[in-house]
Amino acid sequence: MSSDNLAHHQSTINHVLNTDTFSCVWCGLTVSAQAPDGTRRNHCPSCLHSKHVMDQIEGGPSACGSKMSPIAIAVLRTGDWMIIHRCVRCDELTSNPVSTDDNQLILMRMAVRPLAQPPFPLEAFGTL
Amino acid sequence: MPRRTQSGGRKNRHRPQRYKDVLHGNGGHRANDFRCAGCRLDVSLVAPGTAHRNHCPNCLTSLHVDHRIPGDRASTCHGRMEALSLTVRPDGEWMIIHQCQSCGELSANRIAGDDNMLPLMRLALRPLGAGSIASSALLTTL
Repeated sequence: MSSDNLAHHQSTINHVLNTDTFSCVWCGLTVSAQAPDGTRRNHCPSCLHSKHVMDQIEGGPSACGSKMSPIAIAVLRTGDWMIIHRCVRCDELTSNPVSTDDNQLILMRMAVRPLAQPPFPLEAFGTL
Repeated sequence: MPRRTQSGGRKNRHRPQRYKDVLHGNGGHRANDFRCAGCRLDVSLVAPGTAHRNHCPNCLTSLHVDHRIPGDRASTCHGRMEALSLTVRPDGEWMIIHQCQSCGELSANRIAGDDNMLPLMRLALRPLGAGSIASSALLTTL
């Protein structure tokens, strides 16, 4: 096999077979690092937990490396959902786009969570 | 505003609020009020339910002044922070997630007792709006 043939062969393999995986720090599930749309995953699709590897405030890699739990759903102007993660060790917040195979039960649970315990009586809105 | 009725037997888990010795405004000449960066409302610092008012009670806009620790006043950004979403603490208290409009940083702040109900409910209902992922998720899985 000539050298350019070999290079072509290698690139085809890399394109088709991306077997990069990571195991979730929360639930231990082994997930592929590639989301269905081809982008790189940054949270587990089953329990939506992430790992603190990027420093959001100053940029670059973070020295924390702890677990990040999902706390909220943010909606962009385009209508896309973002998951807000919070580091359990250093309280830093990050936002990541949702993937198409994320657990919709947990996503919906987070989205309706504020409405379960409103801090004011909702009856006041009936008089507006 | 913390809830008076605790769910379950988890009582006495309240951490007292951090003491914050900062001056508002330049040189502290306006020690008792600040002007909102979003709606230009003059806001008093005395807030019911919290010792640290950090956002406007009318439009929920905040200012990016803290760096890593709340109250350290070490940020050099000073951008306007808009309310992005809501989260709930395990004790049922709502927190507003602010995002800085100039550098994109996120921060979580407790709501105060006199915050405007209407923008709070708009934030809470934003993920459930028409044409969003929520409707398609509910229609396909249920």
